[in-house]
Amino acid sequence: MHSTELLKGTLQTIILKILADHGKMYGYEITQRVKELSDGTILLTEGALYPTLHKMEAEGFLKTETEVIGKRMRKYYSLTAVGKNVVEDKVSEFIAFIKTMSTVLNVTVA
Amino acid sequence: MLLTAEHIDYIIKDVHYRGLVVDGLKDEIIDHICSAIETEMKSGKRFIDAYHNVLKTFGHTGGLREIQSQTLTLQNQKTKIMLKNYLLIAIRSLTKHKFYSLINVVGLAIGIAACLVIILFIQNEVSYDRHHKNADRIYRVNGEIKFGGNHYKLAVASAPFADAAVHDFPEVESAVRFRARGSYLVKRSESTDNIKENDVIWTDSTFFNVFSVPVISGDASTALTEPNAIAISKKMADKYFPDGNVLGQSMILDNRLNVKVTAVFEDMPVASHFHFDILIAMAGLNEAQQPNFLSNNFNTYLLLKPGTNAKGLEEKFPGFIQKHMGAQAAAILGEDFTMEKFKSAGNIWEYTLMPLTDIHLHSDLTAELAPNGDITYVYLFSAVALFILSIACINFMNLSTARSANRAKEVGVRKVMGSLRSHLVRQFLLESILLSLGSFLFALVLAWIFLPVFNSISQKDLTLPVTEPMFYLLLGGASILIGVLAGLYPSFFLSAFKPVNVLKGNLALGLRSGWIRSSLVVFQFVISIFLVIATITVNRQLNYIQNKKIGFEKDQVLVVNDAYALGTNIESFRDEVAKNNFIKSGSISGFLPVSGGWRSDNTYWPTGSEPTEETMVGMQSWEVDYDYVKTMGMKIIEGRDFSSDFSSDSSAIVINQSALKFFNYEKDPVGRKISTFNSNNPDGSPDKNSLKSWTIIGVLEDFHFESLKQNIAPLALFLEKNNGTVIFRFEAANSQDVISTVEKTWKSLAPGQPFQYSFLDEDFGRMYVTEQRLGKTFAVFASLAIIIACLGLFALTSFTAEQRTKEIGIRKVLGASVSSIVVLLSKEFGRLILIAFVLAAPLAWYAINWWLKSYTYKVEIGILVYAAAGLFAFGIAWITMSYQSIRAARNNPVTSLRSE
Repeated sequence: MHSTELLKGTLQTIILKILADHGKMYGYEITQRVKELSDGTILLTEGALYPTLHKMEAEGFLKTETEVIGKRMRKYYSLTAVGKNVVEDKVSEFIAFIKTMSTVLNVTVA
Repeated sequence: MLLTAEHIDYIIKDVHYRGLVVDGLKDEIIDHICSAIETEMKSGKRFIDAYHNVLKTFGHTGGLREIQSQTLTLQNQKTKIMLKNYLLIAIRSLTKHKFYSLINVVGLAIGIAACLVIILFIQNEVSYDRHHKNADRIYRVNGEIKFGGNHYKLAVASAPFADAAVHDFPEVESAVRFRARGSYLVKRSESTDNIKENDVIWTDSTFFNVFSVPVISGDASTALTEPNAIAISKKMADKYFPDGNVLGQSMILDNRLNVKVTAVFEDMPVASHFHFDILIAMAGLNEAQQPNFLSNNFNTYLLLKPGTNAKGLEEKFPGFIQKHMGAQAAAILGEDFTMEKFKSAGNIWEYTLMPLTDIHLHSDLTAELAPNGDITYVYLFSAVALFILSIACINFMNLSTARSANRAKEVGVRKVMGSLRSHLVRQFLLESILLSLGSFLFALVLAWIFLPVFNSISQKDLTLPVTEPMFYLLLGGASILIGVLAGLYPSFFLSAFKPVNVLKGNLALGLRSGWIRSSLVVFQFVISIFLVIATITVNRQLNYIQNKKIGFEKDQVLVVNDAYALGTNIESFRDEVAKNNFIKSGSISGFLPVSGGWRSDNTYWPTGSEPTEETMVGMQSWEVDYDYVKTMGMKIIEGRDFSSDFSSDSSAIVINQSALKFFNYEKDPVGRKISTFNSNNPDGSPDKNSLKSWTIIGVLEDFHFESLKQNIAPLALFLEKNNGTVIFRFEAANSQDVISTVEKTWKSLAPGQPFQYSFLDEDFGRMYVTEQRLGKTFAVFASLAIIIACLGLFALTSFTAEQRTKEIGIRKVLGASVSSIVVLLSKEFGRLILIAFVLAAPLAWYAINWWLKSYTYKVEIGILVYAAAGLFAFGIAWITMSYQSIRAARNNPVTSLRSE
């Protein structure tokens, strides 16, 4: 389990990348996907996920569409054109960050 | 799907119960929970256990609410939504108080509309003559001559001045002269019918060089070089040569001058101090080639080289005058003439340079090319615009603060709910900006409607620049600025309320601490009363001028202009018309006792004495016929009028009282003589052998022949032929019949010539057009100021009455009469108006004295005028207040006391 403190700064990058790879997804699906990809080491809390999604929507990175399933309303998130443009940047920014961190901490990333 | 509908209903209810209510978010979370439960149930858990597990990951109720509050904060941080909220509340608050909002908008709109119109006017006034490329290098030569009882300030210089200046001063690049010779009768050479053209001028070939007047066809550099060449405006070209073939065409001016069109120029813009339609080449004017430095008839403009200091050039003029004019002056005034001696005798002979762009607003000299504007009016109107706008803004502030008592509770509740002061300030500012925007829109409509009215009063052609984006930008900026300025004080005042106090009910603050409001009301009425006094004064002075005994009878006199077009038929025309029994008498002379008539002056001295600086008198010399004095209704107070019974009258003169004083002939004037030189040498100096003397046979009572701003100058009537106009005095008949009869005679004796007439009293009135305009404009703006101030007062009174409904109710129950309550309500504002009057009266007194200073003959403005203005303002204000007061006082106390 990674600490939530560490996750905070990378949440947006994770969401962007996952949506870029999978197209439209709903909130629960995203948490499950992250869990699956990280072998259960990264558990997105709902309390962090939803405000971040809404923020990214307000900033114009994400767009939403809803689907009615019986009594439930499912809200799918997908990248906007702006969102698609920033994915690359965000990811490479993060890789650069890791590289910097490895030099700072004097360790080698496996 | 493992979840049943019942499960889902349960989740929905439960989540709602835990406080998750925001649409969208709620559905999304429910879906999430459902999906998570389904996953757990797949591994064999019971529904309720799965649900609680999932809730745990959310952090139970607290976690759910946290998500919701974060989402809400995020949404509310979006400025758009915040503004929308402010806007919504502002609109609700404004529509809730329709009455106050309406008064605010209407008052402010009237103020802004007035301001807008005035700004257009001012902008137009200061833009004159700036279209010339060399505007900053062009100067006009102004002359000032004081000699022999006359003092002239001239917009003209002598004919050879321009050439001499170009020759003598290296800093003068070029020069151009204008010589005005009045109107001309114009026709194409093959046409028979003349058309009268007013804007005709003689000018040098350098005209197009100095001034930027675009030439459409023809060569600007050679256009006006040959004698008898003319250049005409596009308007003239279209009028006389509609077929478009203009260049090289012949025209005939005044039936004698054959000219050829050499150029067509663009019509001169309105914002120019001259507007010529026809330019005649100066080369054809004999007078322009004379070396006479002593007679000043030419408007002279110098184009200086870039970087020249005009003041420095001016300092060289005295030497220039001495060099060129000294010799000619000495020839008249004796050989020992020097400039120093001339000046030490108290005389003046000076030339100065006036920048081209100053001419329109700062020049009011003799021989202007056209009447100019006046910088005083620009200042005056700016002040008035500012006054009106401030009155309107004050209304706005007053009404907002007055309403504060009502809004205090709102402020209290909002603060308790967590509003910060800055939120409230923003809210109130937005409201005032909204009102201001509304007012601007309304003002734009008002200005659009009333601009034509203003145009007709001010004789301008102003339009709203509706096609310019800059105009809207400025308007928008100004509306926000005014909204902020007017809303600043109320918004800080209102937002400062302490919620504890206002909610406890201590909200009297807004009403009692009204000294700022009171002083603002006083200020409004100071301005209003001031404007009323000013209006009354201007109009009384006008009346005074028009009804003053002017020394001749201006009513029922018909003036037939351009009588020279009759040629030799002029006397038969007069006699023919005089046969009609409604004509009392007719006279032929161009000299009229109103501005715009012919003028001619010469220097005379008492016969027997030497012509020296002490004895010489500059005197108007008018050429008239036997019937002139009778037709004008002038009065002979000593001696007799010209008469055909005396053949010696050809060397007789009739002079006015003022001339007697200058000649020292006050005792026994009849029979005494005066002399002058009658002709000039070819070099322009007077011919000493041409001495001629006249005998005084009568003395005329002084009559005004210029504006009453001026003193009556010495004047003499001579029995000479002058065919400028034919004047008829008619008896009480229908003036339309008189005109048609005279016109019929004119048509038969001067076929093809335009019949131009005017009435002497109208010509007389025209001298005071500026004053009439000022009077009218002042009246309009004074009433606007009063209307806006009263609008504010009306709202304030109704507001006070509303606040004091209960007090009034109790007073009535205790036996107060309607009238005592009305007095009670009006007393407060009545006192304010009294204070305003005390402040306004001395201000007005000072301003009026300043304005009347320019009039030699002025009306007395007594205490009564001030009293009348004060009473008027008070009366209007009282009527305004009384409607609300009486309504409040007559209310049934039961209704006002029943509630609460």
